[in-house]
Amino acid sequence: MTNEIRLLLVDDEKDFLEVTGKRLARRGFAVKIALTCGEAKAILDHEWPEVVVLDVMLPDLNGIQFLKEIKQKWPLLPVILLSGHASVQSGIKGIECGAYDYCLKPVDLEELIERVKIAYQESRAV
Amino acid sequence: MLRLITALRRRFFPEHHGDPQELQNAFRNHYLHFRGLLTANNNALELMAEAEQMLASGRPFGMAFVRGNCTALSVNVYKMIKHLTALADNGGYQRLPSRFKEISGRIEAILDRQPTIGAGPHILGMDQIDRTSIDLVGEKMANLGEIRNRVGLTTPDGFVITATAAGEFMAGGELQTEINRQLKSLDIDNLEELYTISAAVQQLISVAPLPEELETQIQRAYFQLADRASKEVLVAMRSSALGEDGMRVSFAGQYRTQLNVAPEFLGRTYKEILAGKYKSQAIVYRQQRGYRHQDVVMCVGCLAMVEATVSGVTYSRPPGDSRGNGVLIHAVRGLASGAVDGDVPHELWRVARYAPHPVLASPTGITGPALLSPDRLAELAEVAVRLEAHFGSPQDIEWSYDATGRLFLLQSRPLGEAESGALVTPPTADGDQPPPLLAGGATVSPGAACGVVFKVASSLDLLRFPPGGVLVVKSPYPDWAVLVNRASAIVSETGQAAAHLATVAREFGVPALFGVADAFTTLGDGQLVTVDASGRRVHPGRVESLLSEQPAKPALMRGSPIEQLLREVLAQITPLNLTNPASPYFRASACETLHDLTRFCHEKAVQEMFRFGDRHGFDKRSARQLVVETPFQWWVINLDDGFAEERQPDKHFINLSDIRSTPMLALWQGMTAIPWAGPPPVDLGGLGSIIFQSTRNPRLDPAVRSGLTARNYFLVAKNFCNLSVRLGYHLALAEANLSEYLTESYISFQFKGGAADNHRRLLRVNLLGDILAVFDFRVEIKGDTLTARIEKRPREYLEKRLMVLGYLLIHTRQIDMVMADEEVRDQYRVKILADLATILPNHEPLAIGTNHDQ
Repeated sequence: MTNEIRLLLVDDEKDFLEVTGKRLARRGFAVKIALTCGEAKAILDHEWPEVVVLDVMLPDLNGIQFLKEIKQKWPLLPVILLSGHASVQSGIKGIECGAYDYCLKPVDLEELIERVKIAYQESRAV
Repeated sequence: MLRLITALRRRFFPEHHGDPQELQNAFRNHYLHFRGLLTANNNALELMAEAEQMLASGRPFGMAFVRGNCTALSVNVYKMIKHLTALADNGGYQRLPSRFKEISGRIEAILDRQPTIGAGPHILGMDQIDRTSIDLVGEKMANLGEIRNRVGLTTPDGFVITATAAGEFMAGGELQTEINRQLKSLDIDNLEELYTISAAVQQLISVAPLPEELETQIQRAYFQLADRASKEVLVAMRSSALGEDGMRVSFAGQYRTQLNVAPEFLGRTYKEILAGKYKSQAIVYRQQRGYRHQDVVMCVGCLAMVEATVSGVTYSRPPGDSRGNGVLIHAVRGLASGAVDGDVPHELWRVARYAPHPVLASPTGITGPALLSPDRLAELAEVAVRLEAHFGSPQDIEWSYDATGRLFLLQSRPLGEAESGALVTPPTADGDQPPPLLAGGATVSPGAACGVVFKVASSLDLLRFPPGGVLVVKSPYPDWAVLVNRASAIVSETGQAAAHLATVAREFGVPALFGVADAFTTLGDGQLVTVDASGRRVHPGRVESLLSEQPAKPALMRGSPIEQLLREVLAQITPLNLTNPASPYFRASACETLHDLTRFCHEKAVQEMFRFGDRHGFDKRSARQLVVETPFQWWVINLDDGFAEERQPDKHFINLSDIRSTPMLALWQGMTAIPWAGPPPVDLGGLGSIIFQSTRNPRLDPAVRSGLTARNYFLVAKNFCNLSVRLGYHLALAEANLSEYLTESYISFQFKGGAADNHRRLLRVNLLGDILAVFDFRVEIKGDTLTARIEKRPREYLEKRLMVLGYLLIHTRQIDMVMADEEVRDQYRVKILADLATILPNHEPLAIGTNHDQ
């Protein structure tokens, strides 16, 4: 389908990644998943996702660091950060580095979908 | 001349001469930031309300809630600052980020604060301990030392491995950091996850090496103990938690006690007892009672084993009856642990509190000689009365007699507050209840509850226990306590009031009936029953007559460390100091709380939208007067797509039919559905008071006044409307976003001021609060300022509420002048609700609510 939002989901928790990826796909998103920043970079280069959902804790690179890289290369691409460990500082840091939003796990799927859609619409409107 | 006029016009009425498309893009960009700011503002206010409601409800919450709320709140406030800075596009508001970082830094510091463990020795002998040692040895051992060294009664010889030692061990090798990491996101309602993480954390502690110096010190203390006993002794290692004092909570049985420990196992057992802090039921218990894990530090008492012949538990007064007469004594053969674990046959005696302590009630059904002679019963009662007098409150005492007949005291602690009121409820009178399935047993926690039977015989069963189920067990093992926040009632075949599970049930207000023979076989899984613990019966189905008038569940969080921490954090978040935009103190540097920052950002964002117009000739192009026949003038500014697309013939006016803003139209519908009858006839008192107020304060300035609010402005987009109304002497702000996404949808309303005296203004504000609460607004009233909000509801639902607001905006103006008393207010309430019922014909029947906060 051409009207699907292309979504990249990056998280090192394999179960969460696969389950959430499938549920989002069932809800009409064109979902790509990546367990590491390395995998995510390849997808970013070749698949042109329109929204990225990124876990703050990743094995090969700190999620915030990766966020910075993404924003440098694709400044208009909205990135929603996910974190399993709420921390005021990491939340602020995420927004400071250009994250569109910051969600805490466990995240409600409906809420995530809304945030992805809003992020997508706003990025189109800019 | 013409050139001069043109120059003057340009000077005073600047117009944008750039590319209209560019201007449109710039404006759209501005509007996007404005909308983003409004959404973040909305989220932030909702998060603040959520935290305040949680605090007010008394419901249990953990650090995960506090951290999650603070993080989400900080993120949203920071987003507001980012959006506002982008809106200003002139480098303004440079002080905002630093103010924000200072406030969020203070919040983070409170969240991350660690309890300080005092420096001190790693080991203290029992002869060195009394109540003043509590910060080193924990409450249990401090009390035991007090009994030994201040009251002069016999306790086992031994020593305590102190909080300092535990603190150093847990801090070493980042052990505590790793444990905290594992526990941070634990969901205690997921029992499988709870067990897994609990086991992993206990394993981490068990395998961590003890510092060599501590190991040596423990060994040395042990050999000194053996020297004093002149033989090799086995010790009982008992947890003595630090950090629970100041609360009448009973962590009884949550932690480990290991009996008969030989010297070579001291180190290993010490670690096991430290690990016991993370037993699954202890984790659940702390969460329910509002304790952070680091608030509790485990000290460990090492006491020479008493070769007990008879042991037991004494209550210096009957539980639940702090003025009651009689000492209750539970006795079992052998060690005291049998009395607490709950499934060993026991004898229950009631003995008079006065000398010579005659027996008031004897155990029934004893075959053979009783475990306790009258002399011993008298001795136990005398000790109980003495300890109660020494500690100043009824006591729960553990004891043992050794083979020589010597009485050793093992523990004394206050009978928990939750025990008050327990067990005294009279049995419920027979009504029209169905015949019971079971009858008898002992009420160990009073009350009645209904639920589906779920029998638990193993840890595996625990995992499948349904929330709200009736827990049915053969014996009340302490391990079942993990279900106490899920079970509606507990029924056990064995056990009595001294069992740990009974203590916890009383604390949590869960009705519990113990000693019900055949309960496990009679009751079937999935069967709906009503457990009448007070009446000592279990009925089939739901018996409403028993369930009505149940006492409220105890507020378990009151005064707990996490509750106090949330209060402290909220002090940095919710107070609003910036109320008056016209004040010279309405500036970034004056923001003291996150609420101040949101208020500041919101106000300035609206101003920036106007300023954008000023800079680009936008107000002249877009601020149109609404063509309507009302006594007031209304101005509408189109932010994006709020007007019909066809070109307007007149740049100064706009017809209602050309408005496309759904929320504005809904408001307008409410404002005009019933014509305003004009000012109410003013009673002389009201008029006099207005004249008086006018004399005293000629400006009669509502707190939220700024240049923008001098006129009545609608700022509109298709889904958005912000209305500032200044009608007469009061100021009202209504704002709504009716997004297709629930997370973005809201209505907010603020109302302040009035012309009449304070009493009349408050009555009007109360009336508004009442009406809005009827329509599910969350209302807050402080002084004569009312704020009301609704979030995350569907569009049609919010449209109805906007009509209500519209109606109230028009029809409550000036009625403060006639608000002489409650009677007048009530008359208006009836009239307003009747009017609203005609405006909203399909609305559900209106109930008159009064559930606003004051």
